[in-house]
Amino acid sequence: MLKPSRATALPSLMIAAVLVVATTTGCRHDGRSGGPITIDYWEKWTGFEGDAMRATVNAFNESQSRIHVNLLTVSQVDRKMLMATAGGIPPDVAGLWSSNVNVYADKNAVLCLDPYLKREGIGEQDFLPVFWDLCRHRGKTWALLTTPATIALHWNKRLFREAGLDPNRPPRTIEELDAFAEKLTTRDKDGKIVRMGFMPSEPGWWNWAWGYFFGGRMWDGKSKITANSPENIRAFEWVQSYSKKYGATALQTFQSGFGNFSSPQNAFLSETVAMEIQGVWMHNFISKYAPKLEWGAAPFPHPAGRPDLANVTDAEADVLVIPTGAKHPDEAFEFIRFVNSQGGSELLNMGQRKFTPLRKVSAEFLRKHPNPYIEVFIDLAKSKNAFSTPKLGMWNEYADEMNNAFDNLWLQKRAPKEALDIVQQRMQKKLDRGLRREARLEH
Amino acid sequence: MTRQEKRTLRNGLGFVSPWFVGLSVFLLYPIIASFYFSLCEYSVLMKPQFIGLGNYADLFTDEVFWKALGNTLGYAAFALPLGVVVSLGLAILLNTGVRGMTVYRTIFFVPSLVPMVALAILWLWIFNGEHGVLNHVLGLIGIKGPGWLSDPFWAKPALVLLTLWGVGHAVVIYLAGLQSAPQQLYEAAELDGANWGQKVRHVTLPMVSPVILFNTIMGLIGVFQFFAVPYVMSPRGQPARSTYFFAMYLYDNAFSYLRMGYASAMAWIMFLIILVLTLLALKFSERLVYYEGG
Amino acid sequence: MEAKSPQAKFLIHAILIGLSIVFLFPLFWMVSTSLKPIEETMKVPPQWIPSTFQLSNYWKAITYQSDQVGYIPFLRYTLNTLYLAVLGVAGTVLSNALVAYGFARLKWKGRDLLFAVTLATMMVPFPVTMVAVFALFKHLGWIGSFKPLWVPAFFGSAFNIFLLRQFFRTIPEELSDAARVDGCSEFGIFWRIILPLAKPALAVVALFHLLYAWNDFLGPLIYLTDQKHFTLALGLQFYQSQHGGTEWNMLMAACTIIVLPVIILFFFTQRTFIQGIAVTGMKG
Repeated sequence: MLKPSRATALPSLMIAAVLVVATTTGCRHDGRSGGPITIDYWEKWTGFEGDAMRATVNAFNESQSRIHVNLLTVSQVDRKMLMATAGGIPPDVAGLWSSNVNVYADKNAVLCLDPYLKREGIGEQDFLPVFWDLCRHRGKTWALLTTPATIALHWNKRLFREAGLDPNRPPRTIEELDAFAEKLTTRDKDGKIVRMGFMPSEPGWWNWAWGYFFGGRMWDGKSKITANSPENIRAFEWVQSYSKKYGATALQTFQSGFGNFSSPQNAFLSETVAMEIQGVWMHNFISKYAPKLEWGAAPFPHPAGRPDLANVTDAEADVLVIPTGAKHPDEAFEFIRFVNSQGGSELLNMGQRKFTPLRKVSAEFLRKHPNPYIEVFIDLAKSKNAFSTPKLGMWNEYADEMNNAFDNLWLQKRAPKEALDIVQQRMQKKLDRGLRREARLEH
Repeated sequence: MTRQEKRTLRNGLGFVSPWFVGLSVFLLYPIIASFYFSLCEYSVLMKPQFIGLGNYADLFTDEVFWKALGNTLGYAAFALPLGVVVSLGLAILLNTGVRGMTVYRTIFFVPSLVPMVALAILWLWIFNGEHGVLNHVLGLIGIKGPGWLSDPFWAKPALVLLTLWGVGHAVVIYLAGLQSAPQQLYEAAELDGANWGQKVRHVTLPMVSPVILFNTIMGLIGVFQFFAVPYVMSPRGQPARSTYFFAMYLYDNAFSYLRMGYASAMAWIMFLIILVLTLLALKFSERLVYYEGG
Repeated sequence: MEAKSPQAKFLIHAILIGLSIVFLFPLFWMVSTSLKPIEETMKVPPQWIPSTFQLSNYWKAITYQSDQVGYIPFLRYTLNTLYLAVLGVAGTVLSNALVAYGFARLKWKGRDLLFAVTLATMMVPFPVTMVAVFALFKHLGWIGSFKPLWVPAFFGSAFNIFLLRQFFRTIPEELSDAARVDGCSEFGIFWRIILPLAKPALAVVALFHLLYAWNDFLGPLIYLTDQKHFTLALGLQFYQSQHGGTEWNMLMAACTIIVLPVIILFFFTQRTFIQGIAVTGMKG
């Protein structure tokens, strides 16, 4: 009776065609045919750091024939992995930062590794405490490690000599640091800054952390934010003292001309900044871009009269996780285990010129290590004053707030106490709200 | 219904069928779903958990939300009116019968074609504090340029400037509108002894007022979705969150923090604000906008 | 409004020329920077015209090793973008023409109501539906593929429906009536009479979508996870250095490569473009 007209036919055909194409294209194949199972591994490193991981992946692939790891370099890997996991197509292994662990665990974005660890007998006894701690959250293990890092003061020996300072004696107290910095700062005939002795805003990756060096912390580990504790305020007053002393605009202009981090135009490598707080990886960039640089590394200075605050360092690590919804979690863990074995870890960390997160280290590793100051970094990792990124669910927002506060006081738009009070208020409210929300959801 | 009407109905529905799918699947369902999500804690990795108005209450006390909203409205308060003034002004100039009108129109239009990401990066370079060409050009006429994108006070004006560079699109629209204005009105005004300024005020502006209204409303909707350019230039809204716009906070909530319920609540508030402002604009325009033929 | 006096004409020309220089300058500066050696980009005061035309910058841009991801497969990103653009244009033109025909050339019960709803949806900003659409695509398993970026184009969009419907209504009804009397099916009328007459409007729809696909940033940002699938808009970001300091000459070269096709396309399709924009703005 009602014959389908062409008017209905064509659009329906078109819709059908599109849906057919849409639902059938793009199927993935895995090792069902008998070959090795391929797992996808997203990692952040490029350059020689990437090469070191590539060598480790190759070593794993060659050591057995069941699993083939496909390494992919991904920028903003933590964000991308989260979105891919949210979208239902995560990689099997992802290389994140330790600060991601608790957030992603709470969001159900990564798998708990305890069943695997128990089966293999791997645990806290194998790792340096500060790094094992980074993998744990709420009593469970959510990640294992790749490359650890600590930070220390790096100084330019040649510039020290030029300024009349002993090139082998780095500053030991904050007061000495300030005094040395002044001697090392030079200007041109117009008074424009040409070289800075030290800048708390360089490289800008630990703008939030200065409080720790003065005995402060970011929260009490339970329910109180401590952004505006007296120690933190003292720390940021010290930061702002540089802005006040050398001029906010002058420093801004000076800083905006800095070159690419991974290039000879890097501020420290081009001798534009004489002292800088940096991580164990800095040696690599020096070797590559400024091999003639005379440099040293030592624990960052502590406030005079507070030797109990010596050897403060930020201990972080890059970690490996298995995202929720990964297609091959068992194979993924096998690879992760390899990277955390003494052989795999020393191979990777030798390649990246870092130290290993394991308690056991081979003497050969220490002997052959190209970084002349590697033991400084290892000792700092064992220090009782080593801190890590707070394991707060809202850490990203907290860090953003701290960075904003830093920007504001660095530009002298706010006094340190004011800036930190704002952060304190906001983050305490957020924490309260977050804890309330958690309580609400847990039943 | 007659047999003829039945056939036409079938045909009509047939032709419109792709839109049925598009409308219901990509618009109506998501609108309803997102409203439900806005009442939930939803991370897409876990099932949505109903929390009533919790998200809206949290937004009310969320300083970042207010900052983002303030940034967006502040930006709109300058970008929209200035945009109208500049584009309409240019259109009026072009409509004076000058030689080479099409060439000028092309010159003004081409910048609005530049893909947003390229635009953001190009202007990042132009605004650069140390090597940016803008400050040097200003220096040539004796003005010391500010830090633009590294100065919390000047970052938004920088973005307004950048937006004004893309008015070419609106210029074309206004020009078409101006060119369709009947000549007799201008001739009548001249007979009445009107000078240039009076002609603009009493003939040009009323003639083109519906277009201004339409562009303003569209501009308002666009401002809340201002995302690609600021996201590429300063993803965290640096310095000091001065360029953290509404759409960026929404995106971060949805995809960086995986708080999709919270993001949906933000979207609904945005929708509400746009509706209210649009209604206000329409009411306000009743007195100002002149519609030809009634 | 005509400018009568020669002084007025001179003044207007002066203003227009001045503004033209201002408007063109950023593009000129983009190309100029793209041809400079790296040291010249940092020169103070700036060098307006490069001392040499370092065309190798363009080659370097296409083969660039960034500090974010290593090698940037510029060519592949271009192909990805073109793939999405072509599919999108095909879907947009086809689906919206069909739907607009249904609204414009046929009278049926409920048509005007549905059209009013269609218009109303133009007011709904994308973020309102963004999260739900993402969740929908996730459950379909389409995240990470290109599908979310081209499949919706085959199901119409309010703006294009509106545009084409306005245009279709200007075609005289007599043409359709005559064809119906001759026994032509409705689809035949659509295909053989209306579509050929609508070429200018269809060209506008195609051009607009092409521009949109070339430009689209948010869509690829949230739906594409595999870097091999990225589009130019996403890839351009990789040239920025993560740790401060960027090779601006290379970045400007990459920018120029992305901007150039759009400008060239514009010069070949100027009239269509301008007419299309004028029509959309006028019907407010």
